[in-house]
Amino acid sequence: MSPPKPSGSTRAGAVRAVFGSLGARTVGALAVLLVLVSLVFLALRLLPGDPAALVLGEQAPEIERALLRARLGLDRPLGVQYARFVAGLFTFDLGDSLARPGTSAFSEVWRALGPTAALASVAVVVGALGGITAALLSVGPWLGARREWAHRGIVVVAATPLIAFAPLLTYLLAVKLRWVPLPGDPDSGASGLLFASGLLAIPLGAQVARIGRAALLDQAGAKFLDVARAKGGGALRVWVVHALPAAFSPIAVVIATQLGALLGGAVVLERLFERPGLGTLMLNAYAARDIPVLEASVAAAGGLFVVAQALAALASAVIDPRTRPS
Amino acid sequence: MSTRALRSAGYAAPAFVVALGSASFALLSTRSPTRLSLDHAWAAPTAGYPLGSGDAGVDILALAVHATARALGMAAVVASFGFVVGTLLGATAGLRGGAAQRWLLRACDLTQSFPTFLLALAVLSAVSVPSRWHIGAVFCLTVWAPFARISAVQARVIAQAEFVQAARALGATRATVVGRHVVPNLLGPVAIQLGTAAAGIVLGEAALGFVGLGPPDGVSLGALLEQGTLSMLRAPHVLAVGAVTVATVSGSLQLASEGLRYFVSGAR
Repeated sequence: MSPPKPSGSTRAGAVRAVFGSLGARTVGALAVLLVLVSLVFLALRLLPGDPAALVLGEQAPEIERALLRARLGLDRPLGVQYARFVAGLFTFDLGDSLARPGTSAFSEVWRALGPTAALASVAVVVGALGGITAALLSVGPWLGARREWAHRGIVVVAATPLIAFAPLLTYLLAVKLRWVPLPGDPDSGASGLLFASGLLAIPLGAQVARIGRAALLDQAGAKFLDVARAKGGGALRVWVVHALPAAFSPIAVVIATQLGALLGGAVVLERLFERPGLGTLMLNAYAARDIPVLEASVAAAGGLFVVAQALAALASAVIDPRTRPS
Repeated sequence: MSTRALRSAGYAAPAFVVALGSASFALLSTRSPTRLSLDHAWAAPTAGYPLGSGDAGVDILALAVHATARALGMAAVVASFGFVVGTLLGATAGLRGGAAQRWLLRACDLTQSFPTFLLALAVLSAVSVPSRWHIGAVFCLTVWAPFARISAVQARVIAQAEFVQAARALGATRATVVGRHVVPNLLGPVAIQLGTAAAGIVLGEAALGFVGLGPPDGVSLGALLEQGTLSMLRAPHVLAVGAVTVATVSGSLQLASEGLRYFVSGAR
């Protein structure tokens, strides 16, 4: 734990340094993203067989296939197609959806982005708050000897896979007991969203609690906590106001590393509840070989992931000066 | 056997039971996970079908066991691949240090946090019919990262240990130092990751199968879970079998990982 270097000690310098290291990481992630989207781009064009036949069916007359090929630009040289594709990524124009002619692929993506963003962001908030609460309970004095139980609970929940408990809980709570509405129901509204996000938040919360507990225990013997106690601070003040901010940076890191898993979980839940969203859009586009929509949605989901990761790194740098690169 | 070995074996026992049980059932029993009998569609458990029937009358017992055996088989192959490739990459970068190590750790960061689902979608859209091999290849793209990270850090520590310096002082060549001293001492800490990686692959495969990116024959834990959710109302037993199977397989692998950790480090 070395003191921040002079360049990072002023706020402006710190922000510059953070953006420098963020920049390097973001460029790496964007490069991977470009490779992925290019793979999707190449998939349709390099697979054996006529892509137009794949979309329209083998029975389609040649004239219709030729029209479709022209519309998708498939009759041009591959290099030209690729250049237009990369340009389209930056101008948000990858052509029209094949499944729904007349709708641009990116407008389909924007429509799907809302429900997924709501699901994921509520899950991050609920998971972070729940995980931090569980971590505090497992180290603080409130539960007495039973705090070991909180710890065991965290370990067990962290080891239980979402894909196993989400359908079971849905069956129990939404189908058998009818305590919550099925989140796929368009009328389910806020409580449906909250239930789905709650399911998605459980694995995230368990990871946050695991890491948060370890980070809080690291601080447990620190002198500054003794000072806070000597000043007459109660347990709540000591742990929440003094210990928690010092443990925040590992928590932000674990949230950032769980974002990829969170996206996978969101896809599973959207499929489980037949809820509209980015995952449903991607899977449908994959099944129907709706290539413009598939390309646009993979690009959007990956871009969202990169942005969210950068935000998590930024948040941890703002709150904890030790994580600012010097 | 020492108590430590016994205790570690106890942790690993569930995984062995699951693996050996499912593999021998899949090889020896004549029950087929793909044979359909429409009369029995979604039927509740009976003496002939102890776990009941699923979509189009498929035998749920056979489906669950075959899917488990195949998931474990894939997890074993992919995790071993990650172990070998990751250890080699990590040890090399760790011993070189400097920029090589920095770049490797950065690549690990990226690979470990990137959404597997997007990766799978991109790779699988490049094949006309995704097979079990293609799905395994998707996991191979990312599985090496945790192994590489641990071995890079560990190699750095070992390279500075006194016994390695002694070996150097005695005139050992670089290859001897790496082969005789660094790699053998590396294997324990890195092997701990095997169980965790295998559990991750089983769950990843189940998740992909659940959303429809599974092998075309439908024999996967994800397909079993999907059948369970589709028939939640008329045949809840299918969902129960699917969820319990997935949780048992991944849980036993995580326990085995814990056993390995205990065996290597001796700490609980």
